[in-house]
Amino acid sequence: MTLARRIVSPEDLTQWIESPAYNQIITFITKLQDSVQGKPNDSPVQVSENSQIVLNLLDNVVQRAIDNNPVVHEKEISRFGKIEFRDFYDELGELLPAEIKTLVVAKYGNEEEASEISEYFKNSFGNRTRIDYGSGHELNFIVFLLCLSKLKYFQDEDFPCIILQVFNKYMKIMRQLQKVYWLEPAGSHGVWGLDDYHFLPFLFGASQLATHPHMRPKSIHNEELVEQFYKQYMYLECIHFINSIKTTPQGENPEAGAGKLSLRWHSPMLDDISAAKSWAKIKEGMIKMYKAEVLSKLPIIQHLMFGSLIVCPEGVAEHSHDDADSDCGHIHEAVNTWGDCCGIKVPSAIAASEMNKLKKPIPFD
Amino acid sequence: MDLDTDVPMEDVSEEQQQSLNQSFDQGSSTAAGGANTSANGATGSGSHKTELNPSSISQLDGWLDKLSKCEPLSEEDVKKLCDMAIDVLQFEENVQPVQVPVTICGDVHGQFHDLMELFKIGGPCPDTNYLFMGDYVDRGYYSVETVSYLVCMKVRFPNRITILRGNHESRQITQVYGFYDECLRKYGSATVWKLFTDLFDYFPITALVDNKVFCLHGGLSPMIETIDQVRELNRIQEVPHEGPMCDLLWSDPDDRGGWGISPRGAGFTFGQDISEQFNHTNDLSLIARAHQLVMEGYSWSHQESVVTIFSAPNYCYRCGNQAAIMEVDEQHNRQFLQYDPSVRPGEPTVTRKTPDYFL
Repeated sequence: MTLARRIVSPEDLTQWIESPAYNQIITFITKLQDSVQGKPNDSPVQVSENSQIVLNLLDNVVQRAIDNNPVVHEKEISRFGKIEFRDFYDELGELLPAEIKTLVVAKYGNEEEASEISEYFKNSFGNRTRIDYGSGHELNFIVFLLCLSKLKYFQDEDFPCIILQVFNKYMKIMRQLQKVYWLEPAGSHGVWGLDDYHFLPFLFGASQLATHPHMRPKSIHNEELVEQFYKQYMYLECIHFINSIKTTPQGENPEAGAGKLSLRWHSPMLDDISAAKSWAKIKEGMIKMYKAEVLSKLPIIQHLMFGSLIVCPEGVAEHSHDDADSDCGHIHEAVNTWGDCCGIKVPSAIAASEMNKLKKPIPFD
Repeated sequence: MDLDTDVPMEDVSEEQQQSLNQSFDQGSSTAAGGANTSANGATGSGSHKTELNPSSISQLDGWLDKLSKCEPLSEEDVKKLCDMAIDVLQFEENVQPVQVPVTICGDVHGQFHDLMELFKIGGPCPDTNYLFMGDYVDRGYYSVETVSYLVCMKVRFPNRITILRGNHESRQITQVYGFYDECLRKYGSATVWKLFTDLFDYFPITALVDNKVFCLHGGLSPMIETIDQVRELNRIQEVPHEGPMCDLLWSDPDDRGGWGISPRGAGFTFGQDISEQFNHTNDLSLIARAHQLVMEGYSWSHQESVVTIFSAPNYCYRCGNQAAIMEVDEQHNRQFLQYDPSVRPGEPTVTRKTPDYFL
């Protein structure tokens, strides 16, 4: 079974929210969150052999693909992002299937499952065509982990390691990708979201702080505390990171505080959340917010792919554009009626009206 | 007499009182005769418009005064403002004619202080004529203040400023990208969001500067070959998911020739051959559009047949980009003015409020 996008309408979305797949994702995320309650990043955790293999995959394959594809030319393209990201992505696409197959097929699953897992993993790093990244891609990484977990590749006791080691390494790589290739924030709410790119480090990070004896939600405003503890706690790392990048250009506006902007300016949501009573409240709230703002949003979920491991909700109709917006960002069925893929000449009005007959996903900006 | 209908606020209101029942645009005695004004004919169908009476003028000036301090209007005033704006905008054309000189601007995205900087760099409105190509809301902190200000300017100086619709001036998009959240946060209900998104339906979708520069938010559509075809569209509706109106607000120029499927999921990409053909068919010198973040604030494509203008510096407080606006003078000379983020005066004064998820 090839992975396919299935959720395209508000009706589909309702089916999705009541589906086993939705519940599996929420249960998985909640368990992962609970598993790191009170545990800073450097807590001693059991690193199983299988976890180590995934860590190596991130360290070697992904990192190498970044290193092999530096941004070299300053070619003018109409996109903000650097086009070398596409070379990184292609290299990853070439290497991954074999790597994941070795990891899965011998003991845990069949080839079909391996290829689905490989696809989720590849999609965790952003969109090749748009050169962007958002919480939908982040969700793909969780789905990748969930699939491995379903095949018993991971055990429940691996969960703290999955977050503190694997997820943290993924975060480190994502920050690097965002920086190196200027990934555009996909579907960012601007200042009205938690962060331009990520959601889950806040969700897991709040759990790390939930039982902390001294740290308060308002501590995020205390620069010294953040500086001292950001390596220990994901939530503070996010605050530290946001503060470091959300600036006015160097030296431009000394009156505005020597290139610095306060959290209130650039992240009113985080500022508001810091008024919560406790980190435990934030921990709980993050799950509610993730359900509402990520898993229940059509612009995000319409990109989620279903197959044999993440099963499409029952009752969701087949649509004619299953392959829409795949990694090349094109609607293949539609394009195929005109010939090839990617940048072919569409015979103007006729093709456009043909395309209009298809049910299209919600546009992305 | 070389008098400008919009510029001298006091004079106009006096004139209005003197020439009873003479509306702004009909007022031939006040119509511009000077070479560098655009009062006369800048908007094509002025005769339909309701007259701005002195009390409306003073009300608008009061609102502008408040807004220029970045203070939002009350819900009640937003309602009044939107009603007044519908009276003006519904009579504008799908291809709103604009005369030179004019300063053309791109995305603003709620970056209110940068908008004020824009007016400093480009010259205050109404002394300078402005054409904004959409995307006033979403992402930035001050979408409400930004769009209120621009709409207020539009009602106050209808012949001096043109505000086109961008793809973000839509109910669906604003629910995802921040404007809806911001309205809830600032007004405690979605009423103001509803008022503005209902108003957005009336915004013109393109403008034609002196018959030579075609201005719009996104780009071309495979279903539109001539500008006249744009005039035939019914624009007073939510931005559709597809079709010509959608394309005009969503498309992007591309390095590849021909039409391509847009990775945005709406609109198309169009190549140099398409732009050149469109400009040739319609006797245009340039397509000016916004919609894409560009590092220098403006960017040429298709061998100078298309220009992208982006007017939100350091977009999302992180992109480090410059912003730009493009001045077009009487001789159609173009000049780009670039600028950096403005100084933020102090902190936002909104009180911290825990979102419901975390209570």
